[in-house]
Amino acid sequence: MFRYYLQLGFRSLRRNPVLTLLMVITLSVGVAASMSTYTVLHMMSGDPIPNKSDRLFVPQIDTGNMIGYTAGEEPDDQLSYPDTQRLLASGQGVRRTAIFGINSAITPERADMAPLLTDGGATTSDFFAMFEVPFRYGNPWHAEDDARNSDVIVLSRATSEKLFGDVDPVGRELKLGDASYRVVGVLGEWEPLPRYYRIINGNGGAFAGSDDFFIPFSAAVRHEKRNSGNNNCSGDAPAAGYAGWIASDCTWIQFWFEGASADDQFVIKAWLDNYAAEQLRLGWLKRPVNTRLRNTMQWLKHLEVVGRDSRIQAWLAFGFLLVCLVNTVGLLLAKFSARAGEVGVRRALGATRREIFHQYLIEASVVGLVGAALGLALSFAGLWLISKQSGAMAAVARMDWTMLLATVLLSVLASLIAGFLPTWRACQVRPALQLKSQ
Amino acid sequence: MEIRPIVSALLRNKTGALLIAAQIALTLAIVSNAAYIIRDRVAVSSRPSGIDDESRIFNITVGSIDKPDDAIAQQKREEQLLAALPGVESVASSNQVPLGQSGWNMSLFLDKAQTESSAHMAFYFTPGPLVKTLGLKLIEGRDLIEADVDEIDMGNDNRLGHVAVISQALARKLFPGGESATGEHVFVGNAADAPEYEIVGVVERLQSPWSQHGDDGEYSLITAIRPIESYANYIVRTAPGQVDRVMRDAEAALTRPGSDRQVIDKQTMTETREQRYRADSAMVWMLVTVTVLLLLVTASGIVGMATLWVNQRRKQIGVRRALGARRFDILRYFLTENLLISSAGIALGCVLALALNQLLVSRMELARLPLGYLGGGSLALWLLGVVAVYGPAWRAAVISPAIATRSA
Amino acid sequence: MLKMTRLSKIYRTRMIETHALRGFDIHVREGEFVAVTGPSGSGKTTFLNIAGLLEDFSSGNYLLDGVDVSGIDDNARSRLRNEKLGFIFQGFNLIPDLNLFDNVDVPLRYRGFAAAERRRRIEQALEQVGLASRMRHYPAELSGGQQQRVAIARALAGTPRLLLADEPTGNLDSQMARSVLELLEAINAMGTTIVMVTHDPELAARAQRNVHIVDGQVTDVMHETAMRAVERIDASMHSNA
Repeated sequence: MFRYYLQLGFRSLRRNPVLTLLMVITLSVGVAASMSTYTVLHMMSGDPIPNKSDRLFVPQIDTGNMIGYTAGEEPDDQLSYPDTQRLLASGQGVRRTAIFGINSAITPERADMAPLLTDGGATTSDFFAMFEVPFRYGNPWHAEDDARNSDVIVLSRATSEKLFGDVDPVGRELKLGDASYRVVGVLGEWEPLPRYYRIINGNGGAFAGSDDFFIPFSAAVRHEKRNSGNNNCSGDAPAAGYAGWIASDCTWIQFWFEGASADDQFVIKAWLDNYAAEQLRLGWLKRPVNTRLRNTMQWLKHLEVVGRDSRIQAWLAFGFLLVCLVNTVGLLLAKFSARAGEVGVRRALGATRREIFHQYLIEASVVGLVGAALGLALSFAGLWLISKQSGAMAAVARMDWTMLLATVLLSVLASLIAGFLPTWRACQVRPALQLKSQ
Repeated sequence: MEIRPIVSALLRNKTGALLIAAQIALTLAIVSNAAYIIRDRVAVSSRPSGIDDESRIFNITVGSIDKPDDAIAQQKREEQLLAALPGVESVASSNQVPLGQSGWNMSLFLDKAQTESSAHMAFYFTPGPLVKTLGLKLIEGRDLIEADVDEIDMGNDNRLGHVAVISQALARKLFPGGESATGEHVFVGNAADAPEYEIVGVVERLQSPWSQHGDDGEYSLITAIRPIESYANYIVRTAPGQVDRVMRDAEAALTRPGSDRQVIDKQTMTETREQRYRADSAMVWMLVTVTVLLLLVTASGIVGMATLWVNQRRKQIGVRRALGARRFDILRYFLTENLLISSAGIALGCVLALALNQLLVSRMELARLPLGYLGGGSLALWLLGVVAVYGPAWRAAVISPAIATRSA
Repeated sequence: MLKMTRLSKIYRTRMIETHALRGFDIHVREGEFVAVTGPSGSGKTTFLNIAGLLEDFSSGNYLLDGVDVSGIDDNARSRLRNEKLGFIFQGFNLIPDLNLFDNVDVPLRYRGFAAAERRRRIEQALEQVGLASRMRHYPAELSGGQQQRVAIARALAGTPRLLLADEPTGNLDSQMARSVLELLEAINAMGTTIVMVTHDPELAARAQRNVHIVDGQVTDVMHETAMRAVERIDASMHSNA
């Protein structure tokens, strides 16, 4: 019977072509608008490292002075150099790392190539294990390299190919700024969405851009690299020169702890509060203890990685879908009630109310299926339009399998919901009544 | 006229009417909020930056790998080089560009003893004729001159200039009594060695690189500094219509063979503005699209439902005609019926619109919807309803009265 | 009251030309109760449509209550229908979404009467057909005969000069049909001219005069009445015998 109803459904698409087309278009436009905006939201609010996002933590410490102090104010999102050093040495959690952005030119070995202007990160060896960064060639540098301020470098795949071509460059030397570094590794494909490990950056924001290279944090400081992102100085201006700057309470470094389990959030938070109390006593911190420790998803929420505009758009798009649904109900009602006679005949020929119900609901979902196909196509068109906005939007306006499936399900579900009332009404047709008046 | 019988007939056939009313209500709720957001975004992105004729401005940032020993001489050479290009009217280097979205944000104090800053403002510095190049309107005092310029090795020298031209918005914020800002002294920061500035002039308007939505989007200060840096950012004013060509020529001139300069960034002011408001214009386009589609969908719903009703009531219409209804009476019947349904939908829609707005206000920090948008939206939907129902109503009006005597 | 001379009505499609009425002559005087009979397809309905100004005619002349209606526009026809004519249909044609009061009200609204006047007329008309107590009921709650009486009330409420009835008892059983017919006779007795189209000879016999249509033409108007007169004479002779 199902196949028979399906056949009837497809045949009936052709019966009132204008009405049917209107329904299919209405449904698919509604689905496309809501799914393309929701896809953006879904991609933006995705978990970039699902297996350990609940045990990666970002600390915040209030380093301001007592001028303009308001209790409980949100501490800065980044740390100062002195705090970073002490947190790295704290032994809390299983791993710790710090990162800041660097803007620098790489001079290739080949003299005929122009220098590359690059953005990269200065970090510690734990970074790669902590964020599960894949390697194509070589390996991360070792903890000893951090300790010895070694001039070693890990390149992104794209940078490596630009400089050396598609070969293994491990062991080769290159010039970054005015110093020479030895290549120890090349990354595989690694584009976490969002770029959670360094959201606060000067090269693309949360969703676009990437780091061209990584060098040891200690080496970057030895070469007096200044950060290319935010630098927030609250109190007195730092003393002149690089040494003065890193010794100041200016905040410019992002920090991560990795716990053994999600429960470590409490352990590390307690340690952090102790640390702040101690530093207050020692006179380094000026304000009463005010710290935060957020796990990955809390951190992304705190930084409002999901744009407010994207949420408004998704809300309004779903409102639009609702209107499309109501409209489809009306159109289906029109279509079905024009066929009251047919129902009467079928009922007179022995169809039960249940069978009529099945037939019409299946017919409604056929409209949904066709709408789904068109809606999917329109969703891709919508995403394409959204991706034209900016690099960041291009990164998130991509449909994954979940969203693809959700789109199809949504259209069929929408048409079923829309078909329910008209179908129920069609079932109310009594056999005799309609035969007589035809 | 015949409202009561129409209402009682409607009440006996609720489903369709309810669907249309619900659709109109939802449409009004979304469209009025969308229209408000659209207008707001358009207003925000069309605020003036203070720059005279932005289409003639571009900026180009060049850098060297190592900090050159003769950074100052090199910058002066490059300024002369750019000034000599055909089509160039004025050149000034600047640490940042209005609407450029990155730059220096500093706290300003009228007195070092203050614990709260008087204003957060965009901190522009230039060794050249920035006011003239941007075409800012000087309304008080004088422009910065060559003699004001401090040569500073940034990062190793904590000085930050000593004279300033400020924007009128900042002057009003600092001196709300309306007294002249010229001749007053202000500090950047309140540390013991915080740099002190003498205000020498006021320009009518200069937006910050972030062009924030409030008054602070126009809190700007320009001081005279020639920074000793490995890079420089030049702002260029060109003759009308030549900005693209001159930008290409400028790039070629600055990176000519023998120069160690690389172009880090270049952008016309038009592009800068587009980039700054890209999210806003994307929002506007998305909302315009949704609004248009919504109105189309709702109109199609009204047409569909009205057609259904006309078809269901053909006989009845014939009888009415036989009993003496003119075509106009039939037309009026359907228009009135539609107007009643629309009005019910609009009444509900106003409530929904305010509820949706309340949600947006509380969850998205949007502003409250002015009631004018509800009025406008209601009017638009009334009109839409009349236009949409007119076709089916007209088809009803031309139904022959002879249909009344047909059996069945 | 109603006078058609050499009237013809031609329906044209691309292929066929149908002469529904040709050289049609009829004259109904004020106060008459005329039955129009004929086999189906003879042109009865066309005649009724034209008489009721529901359809235009192709040629000829039609005087309705002294007004020449050839070539008058749609609005004027609507007004004439509203003011001078009353209709009774075979299928009653009450508006199912309106209660009895509102149904009778329909033509009065188009007439532009004030509310009080409409109320008076509706109540009076429903009183006349014996349904004043069910004013707030809907048509579906009534029997066929009752519905037809409402339709008659609706036709009477505007005090028409001419009542046009189209198989008024066609959908009713014989007992209901009789009561409806009695109602029509009573209305006629009060001075309203009635033209009734029917294919039922028994019903036609109760009219004062019969008009028989065959193939769109009036045939032998007096014939049947004359025959019946003869029959009656026969009958009385037999009874005398």
